[in-house]
Amino acid sequence: MPAPVLEVEGLHKHFGGVAAVDGVSLSLAAGRIYGLIGPNGSGKTTLFNCVTGLERRNAGRVLLNGERIDGLPPWRIALKGIGRTFQIIRVFPELTALENLLVVTRGHLEEARARALELLRFVRLEALQDEYAGNLSYGQQKLVEFARMLMRDPTLVLLDEPAAGVNRTLLNDLLEAVRQLRERGKTVLLVEHDMKVVMGLCETVFVLDHGEKIAEGPPGAIQADERVIEAYFGR
Amino acid sequence: MNVAITPAMVGQVVISGILAGALYSMVALGLALIFGVMRVINIAHGPLLMLGAYTTFFLHSLFGLNPYLSVPVTMAVLFVVGVVLQRTLVFRVVDAPELSSLLLTFGISIGLVNLAQLAFTSDLRAVEYLTGSFPLGPFAVSKPRLVAFVFAAGVTGLAFLFLRGTRLGKAIRATSQSREVAMVCGVDVQRVHMLTFGFASALAAAGGALIAVIVAIQPEMGQIWTFKSFLVIVLGGAGNYPGALLGGMLLGLVEQGAALFLTTQLSEVVAYVLLVVVLLVRPTGLLGGRQT
Repeated sequence: MPAPVLEVEGLHKHFGGVAAVDGVSLSLAAGRIYGLIGPNGSGKTTLFNCVTGLERRNAGRVLLNGERIDGLPPWRIALKGIGRTFQIIRVFPELTALENLLVVTRGHLEEARARALELLRFVRLEALQDEYAGNLSYGQQKLVEFARMLMRDPTLVLLDEPAAGVNRTLLNDLLEAVRQLRERGKTVLLVEHDMKVVMGLCETVFVLDHGEKIAEGPPGAIQADERVIEAYFGR
Repeated sequence: MNVAITPAMVGQVVISGILAGALYSMVALGLALIFGVMRVINIAHGPLLMLGAYTTFFLHSLFGLNPYLSVPVTMAVLFVVGVVLQRTLVFRVVDAPELSSLLLTFGISIGLVNLAQLAFTSDLRAVEYLTGSFPLGPFAVSKPRLVAFVFAAGVTGLAFLFLRGTRLGKAIRATSQSREVAMVCGVDVQRVHMLTFGFASALAAAGGALIAVIVAIQPEMGQIWTFKSFLVIVLGGAGNYPGALLGGMLLGLVEQGAALFLTTQLSEVVAYVLLVVVLLVRPTGLLGGRQT
């Protein structure tokens, strides 16, 4: 087993008296696609926020390639190689599609432009590069966000509900893009409610309920897990 | 009162309004940037303009520097002052409730005015450089106001080019549209906050440098600019940068128009009436506020 790309150890996050994430540990190996599922309010997005630094964890450790990243500001974590998308798409509405990608750059501007244009071609939006992102359709905004996340060539990609509100064609494009990421050695962790997507894509699935990890394993085994069924449907 | 109003008088109002409006736009753009990026209403914006006016005054009186050549120097000096203020004080209230940032910047404002009174006394100062006006058809165009207009338009134009064209400009716009996403994209928002405060102070300073030639310089000259700038960004839509341009022009025209159609004393009242009307009818401002 190669060294894990991301290790989360005993992560706690509470808001007031409510534990949103309650002692979760995960370990992600390179070049694999992981799913994170659980009922609404089970702590999936909070876990993403703690890993990316948007929320300060109350306890626990987060390591990226063996290096502690908990406590770093979000931009430092991003620069270390974690890219993410949001559950509700978050493009910069008053920047153009191209500018949305160029926000994510350091180094040579012409190289950045070339990379941004290449990524826009990859998501088939090159014709709309100068359109304000706020004027694009929902699906196009989702692609802009996806392309923006890839700008810095992250080693770990966190996707929050990539399939939500997306039509079949676009969904297949996105899933294909995610598979391509894996082929290039990237690690993917995705939160998803669409079980078909999770079953078709993920090699390992983590299940959260009330902030705790209640199951971990291959999708088939997870679907049959008593506790998982109980968490979703009640006893 | 009730003199007949001729087309020439209206033309004069439009000219004077646009000349004044460009200054309002430039200074208010600074306030809009700080509000857009940090969600802080900087009450000290006007006093920073006052420091800009004094900087130009001293560069002129001590070193004989042409007040118009002093504009970039004054802007650079106040850029540094702004960065230091942000780094030492303002950064503490960026995530705090709005009342905290209002109180802090109000405190900074009082502090700057009192320091200026201590250091420079309350004596009125003036930069005697350019006065009078030249005729343009039936109109009289004030020379220092025309030069101020040209400079303000140039500085504002450069500011927009900077926001559009440079990487830091994009980072500033991205941060003001969504701070969280900007952070996740790797934008060092603390640095963006600091530099934005510097740029905003430089824009106020440019205003101070340009009016130093026109009005009397004294420690309390700045506060009215805070309120006018605030009015401008509410008119245009808080956090909406092109809105600041529109709001500034509108304020210039309304003030000059009121001075003609009513009385000079009432012109400021009219500006505030305009504020109340916009808040009642279109509270997000004419061009709409920042989208979330």
